[in-house]
Amino acid sequence: MTELARLVVEGVALGGAYGLVALGFVVIAKATGVVNFAQGTFLALGAYLTYNGAVTWGLWFPLAAALAVAASAGAGAGLERLVVRRLAARPPHAAIMATIGVAVAGDQVITMVWGFDHHPIGDPWGASSLRLGGVSVATVDVAVLAVTVVVVAAGAVFFARSRLGLAMRARAADGELAVACGIPVHAVDALAWALGAGLAALAGVLLAAGTATARPDLGLAALRAFPAVILAGFASVPGALVGGLVVGLVEVLTAGYAPVHAPWLGVNVHQVAPYAVMLVVLWLRPAGLFTASPARRW
Amino acid sequence: MSAAVLEVEGLVVDYGGVRALDGVDLTVAPGEVVGLIGPNGAGKTTLLDGVCGLVRGHGGRVVVAGEDVTGLAPHRAAARGVARSFQRTSLVADLDVMANLLLGRHRHLGAGFLDGLLGRRRLRDEEDRHRARCVAVAEHVGVGGYLAVPARVLPFGVRKRVELARALAAEPRLLLLDEPTAGLAPEEADAVVAIVRDVAGGGGPAVVVVDHDLRVVAGMTDRVVALDHGRVVATGPAAAVAAHPALASTYLGPTLPGGGPRGAREPAPGEGPP
Amino acid sequence: MGPGAPTPGGRGRRRAAWAAGGLAYLALPLVVDDYWLSVLVVAGITAVAAVGLNLLTGYCGQVSLGHAFFVGAGAYVAAVVGSTAGLPLALWLPAATAVGAALGAATGPFALRFSGHLLAVVTLAVLFAGQHVFRNWTWLTGGGAGRSDLPIASLGPFDLSALVVAGHRLSFDQGYFWLVWAVVVVVVAASANLVRSRMGRAMVAVREDDRVAAVLGIDVARTKVTAFALAGALAALAGALHGSYRQYVGPEEWDLLASIEYLAVVLVGGLGTVGGPVAGALFLGAVPHLVAGVSGALPFVARGAEPGVTVGQLDRLSFGVVIVAFVLAEPRGLVALGHRLRARLAARPRTRPRPGPPAWPPGCHDGGRAGDRQGRLRPSGPARAGGDA
Repeated sequence: MTELARLVVEGVALGGAYGLVALGFVVIAKATGVVNFAQGTFLALGAYLTYNGAVTWGLWFPLAAALAVAASAGAGAGLERLVVRRLAARPPHAAIMATIGVAVAGDQVITMVWGFDHHPIGDPWGASSLRLGGVSVATVDVAVLAVTVVVVAAGAVFFARSRLGLAMRARAADGELAVACGIPVHAVDALAWALGAGLAALAGVLLAAGTATARPDLGLAALRAFPAVILAGFASVPGALVGGLVVGLVEVLTAGYAPVHAPWLGVNVHQVAPYAVMLVVLWLRPAGLFTASPARRW
Repeated sequence: MSAAVLEVEGLVVDYGGVRALDGVDLTVAPGEVVGLIGPNGAGKTTLLDGVCGLVRGHGGRVVVAGEDVTGLAPHRAAARGVARSFQRTSLVADLDVMANLLLGRHRHLGAGFLDGLLGRRRLRDEEDRHRARCVAVAEHVGVGGYLAVPARVLPFGVRKRVELARALAAEPRLLLLDEPTAGLAPEEADAVVAIVRDVAGGGGPAVVVVDHDLRVVAGMTDRVVALDHGRVVATGPAAAVAAHPALASTYLGPTLPGGGPRGAREPAPGEGPP
Repeated sequence: MGPGAPTPGGRGRRRAAWAAGGLAYLALPLVVDDYWLSVLVVAGITAVAAVGLNLLTGYCGQVSLGHAFFVGAGAYVAAVVGSTAGLPLALWLPAATAVGAALGAATGPFALRFSGHLLAVVTLAVLFAGQHVFRNWTWLTGGGAGRSDLPIASLGPFDLSALVVAGHRLSFDQGYFWLVWAVVVVVVAASANLVRSRMGRAMVAVREDDRVAAVLGIDVARTKVTAFALAGALAALAGALHGSYRQYVGPEEWDLLASIEYLAVVLVGGLGTVGGPVAGALFLGAVPHLVAGVSGALPFVARGAEPGVTVGQLDRLSFGVVIVAFVLAEPRGLVALGHRLRARLAARPRTRPRPGPPAWPPGCHDGGRAGDRQGRLRPSGPARAGGDA
């Protein structure tokens, strides 16, 4: 029972990180209609830059993390400005291929700069654990959850109350109308990409914290957030978070229980499980779980 | 059963809370040209969508040439001989006009994909016959000189006519035209009217045409059906329907051939129709 | 002669091109060394898979990130049918193709519900699920270690890996070159036929707008599933050849990066063109070797155990950059680049005037590059009207 509780906490924490990545996808997709296949690169960048800041330069960890996130956000805005904006009129495969190209090149640059070693990122949580309600949970999991909740709450306030948040929602809802209302759509788009990349970077920091490390395959975690986004239906913000949670839980619980109870599912089935769940859900509800069914078509 | 080309009975279409069509009945006989008028949002395009299968009704039936196509995929209605032109032209930009016209004849060509792969000579001969038909249609519509031009670069007036030609190339039983003259200069609009009348007369397809230009509607159609808020509010010859009181409240004063500017004032008391 | 029939000059030029191609096909393996020959063999195999992906994504507009799965499946089928069952090439090659078609047809229905980015992610799921199966069905696939018992290609008495011609024993690469490029020619010819046919037009119509396509009478479901089946079939065909050539198949090579490579080949070559897949395969196949050749001169490249960037990293980096560069600058790929160069050359004063493209009637605006949506067709000179450029 305590094992289950520990796994649940771990799954929820992982889900929180995935939720942040998924949220990043959704923010970008809502604003510019592009699926950013380079999210993984921003995720890795966040972790590696934090390693640089906290370990190599000895900065205070939260500061290092914040700088890393800010730098990634800047890179995201730059990507929008230099690449994405030019592809606005093209069919979807153009943006897909462009962001994939950026991801391939970006991941290479990361290994060229930081090499293939695994680097602990200097977070204060390490391998320590807390006792919550009689269950021993990893401190990092609690921290990840806390950060996720804070970020999501801040985001909710931002989107609901601030002018910029309103501008972004207007842009996402109807780009042409937003322009007509005088909203600086280009600036909003750049901001959306900055937010999306920043969220991915933050997730990268969280995923590399604790007993994990900044490592070359960290970026692949973003791919596992895809099912989260799809499950939610691309346009839904709360959906992205719930989707992330579902994916995190599915992954951790599968990793914990499948090898013992269902070995026939194969080794490392937990990496595939979120995708399998996604396929099943999509088959039943093509629009995802959080968007209303589209008008009946043939 | 009757020989009607199209029978729509009690068609109901909802768009997420908005009832676009509220029990519409429409019957079209072979060779008849029926106009569909009404204010924006009345459901005219939705009715066309419902007939050709793009939208599934939530009630009612659509029967084309005796076959019930209610709720079936659009290619089934097309197989029964329905051809449609769209308000915003729907040509494939990357193909040239000839290829677009051949697409209109899709149901007439028998080749499967395996035949396509093998490039069989018999197939090529068959295609040549269809190409010849397309050339004839193109020339009839007046776009014969554009056959090798990619659709992407066509000027607007030519595009609209190619859109019409594509529908005609299908040799349909039922031709659905959605604002075929919108955006055209008066002479071009008149040319379209002449083409449609010419095609429909003498054993040609039945036609349902949606248009806002009442002059065009009057010139092209045998009778007119007026829709408002998803319901049929009047039906009859163009002149009578246009003057129908139910429409006057939703339409600005309609105009008849020889009358004043479009959308002009209503006749003053004591004045007869212009 | 109807409008747009080939002119006598054009036909003569085409015959000359075919003759030159045939000569090159026969002579290249005898002239080129094994290193570059193997580059050409791999490029040819990639081209076959790319033709399939081009039909699916370029012509029919269905984005697929799962292509590598079908290629890998073909290689495993070749191992099972060719080695485990010991059947000849005439059976294992078609078997792989058929299995690929079936797998593709099974994936096709997803395209009925999703399109664009969503479809891309769904096909990604298929890829990952496939890789999982490759890793875990050890009894069939050899699991993580893969299989090294791939069949050697032999046609009847001729063992293609060790042909003997006029007393000389030819190399593995030489024999395989002829096999692979013969397959390439057949596949490209078939695809050229297909895109000019009714089905080809239907696919393009579905790409443009599948609702309009349905109204035109096209069975959109069947078209999409057929496109997926074709892509799967050609991918598996390429996979079988790949496995046989490499004499190995393993699960790790059929990952997302492999799918991306096929997409890049199609994109760089020219999405939605007949020659694009081959041009892209040759170009991207040659680039790593050119990078390796050039890297010797670059200061920051590591040699041996020195610090610095490895050639492999440089190669991957340039791969990513090439993709982005082509998407931004030349979205219609190498084929369009070739057309532009030819047009540029044709604009230079010539002693003998050559017939140019037929003049369009007045009023047509050449969209050129600006506002060019799919960026594919140009009216090629004296070509038959009613087809693809």
